[in-house]
Amino acid sequence: MTVEAPGRALKLEPIRSIKKAPVEEFYQSGHRTCQGCLSALPMRLMAKAAGPRTIVLGTTGCMYVANTTYMTTPWVVPWMHTQLGAAGSAAVGTSAGLKALMRKGKMKDEPINVIAFCGDGGGADMGLSAISAALTDIEYNLLIFLYDNESYANTDIQTSGQTPWGAVTTFSPPGKKFRIMQRRWKKNVPGMLAAGHPDTRYVASGTPAIPVDMMDKVRAALRAGGPTYIHVLDPCPKGWHYDPEHSNELGKLAIETGIYPLYEVKDGVLNFTGITKQIAEGRRRRKPVREYLEKQGRFAHFKNQDYAYFQKKVDEMWEQWIIPCVVAFSYGGPINITGDIPKVRNRNVKRENASWAGEPGHSHEEFAETPDEPQEPWRDDNELGRYPWALPSTGQ
Amino acid sequence: MPERAEGGGRAVSSAGSSVEGRSSTEVREEAKSVEFTYRGIFQKTLAANLCKHVVMAARKRDWLGSTIQRYSDSPERNGVPAKQFAVIAPDEVRLQAHMAKYEPNELDVITALDDTLCDGVESWAYYGRQPINLRLRRGGTLLVISHRSAEELLRVIPRKDWEWTLAILPGTPSMGGLWVYRDDGTDMRVLGAIARVRPDIIELDEVRSVVESDDQLGEKHLGALQDGYESVQIHRIAPGQGKEDDYEPVRLPGWRELREGIIVEAVKPGERNPHYKTSSDRTMRPVVNFDTCIKCRQCWIDCPDECFEVTEEGLHPINYEYCTGCGICSQVCPVEDCIVMVNDLEFIDEGDRDVYEMWKQDPEAYHRWREEKIARGRIEHHGYYNTDTWAWAGGRQAESPVE
Amino acid sequence: MTIEKPVGRQTEKLTTGTQAVAQAVKLADVDVTAAYPIRPYDGVMQAVAKLIADGELDCEFIVAEGEHSQFEICKHASAVGSRVFVGSSGVGWMYAMESLCVTPSLRLPVVAMIGNRALDDPGAFGVEHNDAMAVRDLGWLLFWVEDAQECFDATLMAYRVGEDPRVSLPVGLGVDGAFITHSQTLIKIPDQETVNEFLPPYDLGDRLLHPDNPISIAPQANEDWVMEIRKQTDAAARRVKDVIREAHADFRRLFGRGGDNPFFEEYMTEDAEYVLFGMGSLGLPAKVMVRRLRERGEKVGFVRLKWFRPFPAEELAESLGRFRAVGVIDRDYSYGSPQQGGVLFTDLRAALYDAERRPRIVNFIGGLGGRELTPEMMDEMADLTKRAGRGEDVPAVSWIGVRE
Repeated sequence: MTVEAPGRALKLEPIRSIKKAPVEEFYQSGHRTCQGCLSALPMRLMAKAAGPRTIVLGTTGCMYVANTTYMTTPWVVPWMHTQLGAAGSAAVGTSAGLKALMRKGKMKDEPINVIAFCGDGGGADMGLSAISAALTDIEYNLLIFLYDNESYANTDIQTSGQTPWGAVTTFSPPGKKFRIMQRRWKKNVPGMLAAGHPDTRYVASGTPAIPVDMMDKVRAALRAGGPTYIHVLDPCPKGWHYDPEHSNELGKLAIETGIYPLYEVKDGVLNFTGITKQIAEGRRRRKPVREYLEKQGRFAHFKNQDYAYFQKKVDEMWEQWIIPCVVAFSYGGPINITGDIPKVRNRNVKRENASWAGEPGHSHEEFAETPDEPQEPWRDDNELGRYPWALPSTGQ
Repeated sequence: MPERAEGGGRAVSSAGSSVEGRSSTEVREEAKSVEFTYRGIFQKTLAANLCKHVVMAARKRDWLGSTIQRYSDSPERNGVPAKQFAVIAPDEVRLQAHMAKYEPNELDVITALDDTLCDGVESWAYYGRQPINLRLRRGGTLLVISHRSAEELLRVIPRKDWEWTLAILPGTPSMGGLWVYRDDGTDMRVLGAIARVRPDIIELDEVRSVVESDDQLGEKHLGALQDGYESVQIHRIAPGQGKEDDYEPVRLPGWRELREGIIVEAVKPGERNPHYKTSSDRTMRPVVNFDTCIKCRQCWIDCPDECFEVTEEGLHPINYEYCTGCGICSQVCPVEDCIVMVNDLEFIDEGDRDVYEMWKQDPEAYHRWREEKIARGRIEHHGYYNTDTWAWAGGRQAESPVE
Repeated sequence: MTIEKPVGRQTEKLTTGTQAVAQAVKLADVDVTAAYPIRPYDGVMQAVAKLIADGELDCEFIVAEGEHSQFEICKHASAVGSRVFVGSSGVGWMYAMESLCVTPSLRLPVVAMIGNRALDDPGAFGVEHNDAMAVRDLGWLLFWVEDAQECFDATLMAYRVGEDPRVSLPVGLGVDGAFITHSQTLIKIPDQETVNEFLPPYDLGDRLLHPDNPISIAPQANEDWVMEIRKQTDAAARRVKDVIREAHADFRRLFGRGGDNPFFEEYMTEDAEYVLFGMGSLGLPAKVMVRRLRERGEKVGFVRLKWFRPFPAEELAESLGRFRAVGVIDRDYSYGSPQQGGVLFTDLRAALYDAERRPRIVNFIGGLGGRELTPEMMDEMADLTKRAGRGEDVPAVSWIGVRE
């Protein structure tokens, strides 16, 4: 019996509207998160989108310490702690373990979602290499879900590779000599991972402030099969210093200013979504970044020149990058953003004259057809383009 | 250590008798512990400032002192009740005797920096909701920043078998954030109030001296100090006065009872985490107008604490056992005044009970009830932008200390 | 040592130590393995890869991007019920240290082969024991093998003991780099049927991470919980010796070897006045020298420790109490430790402190960084041990074979 990607077998269809959102909760009340925590909300939405046939691996961070506080848990689905930089490896190990057992007949063969979550500290910094490796392990169905509150939040807010330029953290306090201690520009992680792992079938960027879009991306990832990655921006009232009731509004503002983009790369095709799509298609102007920055205490020390610098960098991202917000190279001159966004060619298309001898773009099917001698596949599921969930041993 | 069955809830003074029974010199020469209970993150710096100033003031009379934080409070979370302590003593020996504990067993003064903490604090899972005055020393003082009356507060503060003092400093709780200190004079007013009620701990002159020698502080701080000293109201509370004390210290399982492999049972589908109710995080709670609700479900989907129930009618009542009062629902709701935040102490009668049934049975009565609550206790936000002492212009944050 | 006739068929094969482990991995029907290259352990992963490619073993083979990930992958595969195999050497093992700490507390019976290698710096690829020893306090069971046959046998024992529900702890196999990993010897391999009789399937029971078993594994704890959790691991660690005895008896019955004593091997100790004591491949030159000395009339023997954790303190006290002196050979170092000796020496002294009869114990640090421990060195050590036993002034710790 061949089973497709778990999301497909479990019929995790797009939700599209709040009215159609499923009501069951698989991450429940009773966690020690901040008021207005928009890192807890994605846990809830992710679990809701994935449903009960899911195993969640949770790295150390706010969503571990605040959630499973003192031998209690808000999780309805099975959950296991893993190490700070281990989201990628935990996901691979879990998925590989299930796959082996099902194939070898030691466990019932059925679709099970495997989701490993990490924060920006554990994921984009420490665990980046493990995530990268996981995204190349295309035989395993898994989703790596990074919740980005732009700091090491659980240790009381320190700078991570995702902390915005100039932001105050306990490692970057403004002082008498230096006003701006955090001088690194935020790494572009989802773009980097999408661009660097062409075999990955789904990479997306979202935010819980736009919940249905985020849940649909989770489901799209689980339906895609193979290793997938989603990055969500989470306003953090503690670390960013604003009244918790504005978490949702601030998340939307991050999108509306163009600072943070919503998009998905599915089977090698990039599409912006929601408000970002409107901006990309010229139907909406980006709000000035100042509107977003001045609402947060972590930028309270900003002067006009700081806002100007921040705006310039965001403008660059939109006006000069080869693919705005996603791929950070520029052409010789600016791109007219209201024109066509270059499309990435669908890589599933077979090319003529492709041979085994090293030309890019060959498909595995060709290889299987032109071996020197008849081969027994050691496993059936090594074809690109399809990732059957688990197969019995050869001889089928 | 947080309160557990072995320790019990009784506060026993080390001298074995009430404060009144001893001479004032004797009382003066004992080590003193002051607790500041506060809203995590929102009042963290405020509490730290207060602890520091208590120690600095005690130094003026050549006493020694230390401040303690509870490691398990950390990392603090917005709104989750936390505590910091200042311990002072005339000499090293007495200081050490008091310090050799995880947290002080009995407090001479407990200061609640937000009056909505008075109905109990639940800082983590498993330990249940603990009374605000759990470890108050016999004859000690509970100081609360509040605009409410003693009578009202005593409806939620449990009674003791002995006399104690309730001091109320009129004021709105001062809430800030991590990066910009909310310098609105609250710390000075609290110090003034403590100096008035418990001069055996700090004296007004001592605090004044500390303020005068600090470059960052000026005339208005001294003014606030004086204001706190003068405006604090002192109530002597008789034995038996207050709410019934139904607190039971938790019993933790032994090593043989725990499952092997660090495993706990998951939450059952349809239920919430039974070991940790988060209602004591709240300073304010949302009240819903079920008649004007358009059933858009934004509140339900955007709630980070999963508090909104799902009903057949398509409406979304709130589970107040878990609502942390973040206010997101009131902001995302598209209908004006459909969800309004109201100060949590307006709901002493209702407790954490669900009010949906009230609406279903009699919408008119519910409407009147709701309107009254809003009229008495409507809050727009977490108090980042209001204060009784110094006015804030249009919601702007305080001046950054660095230009 | 009695030799029983094994049950079932055994085939003879010429293998290196790592290949022998791979054969055991195959017969144990391991489900998931993760590999990362570092010498000298990674021969085992090369051998396992070949077995999989040839269809002899059905196992997921994941090449990780670092040892931390390598061990995390296997730990998590184990949590969902897969039997796993993993390994490393030297600083690679240390790179995985975070994962190594948590695996015993999670009570996951991961089996790891440590191709013992000197820790950088200075980088050397030769044998030292400090890498595997670094986890000795954390709940890992640790076994040191002498040769390729023991590599095979100990791997099966590791799964049997580690996965026993009374234990459920990870097991590390110390395999001396180069000497055992890379040289080939003849070993006997039993058939699958007999192995199946010895090794039951891996079953986590109600600790399995699966949607049908709603649990949260390893929520955050605080000072009110950690001691109880550690106590559980302590209780499990105390149960291990009985489980080892049971497994050892079964092993002997089914495979016809394993020695009389599950915990250590005694060689020519019957009427010995003094003995040398050590772990791993140094057993070979030790035994060679013991035989030569015996021919010269010396009453010397050799005791080779197999299970380093759990440390068989009572059993060693009883056995070693018969001798006047014990010369402990440490292929490791422990700077700043009591007497400034090695780890094995320090542990053994602690084990014998309360014994009724306490031999003089002296320590030899030697063979570090892959330096050979020759029979001639053994001679020197034996002589110092004898003199120590006779009350002569012999230093507590001597470094053997160091150029002055």
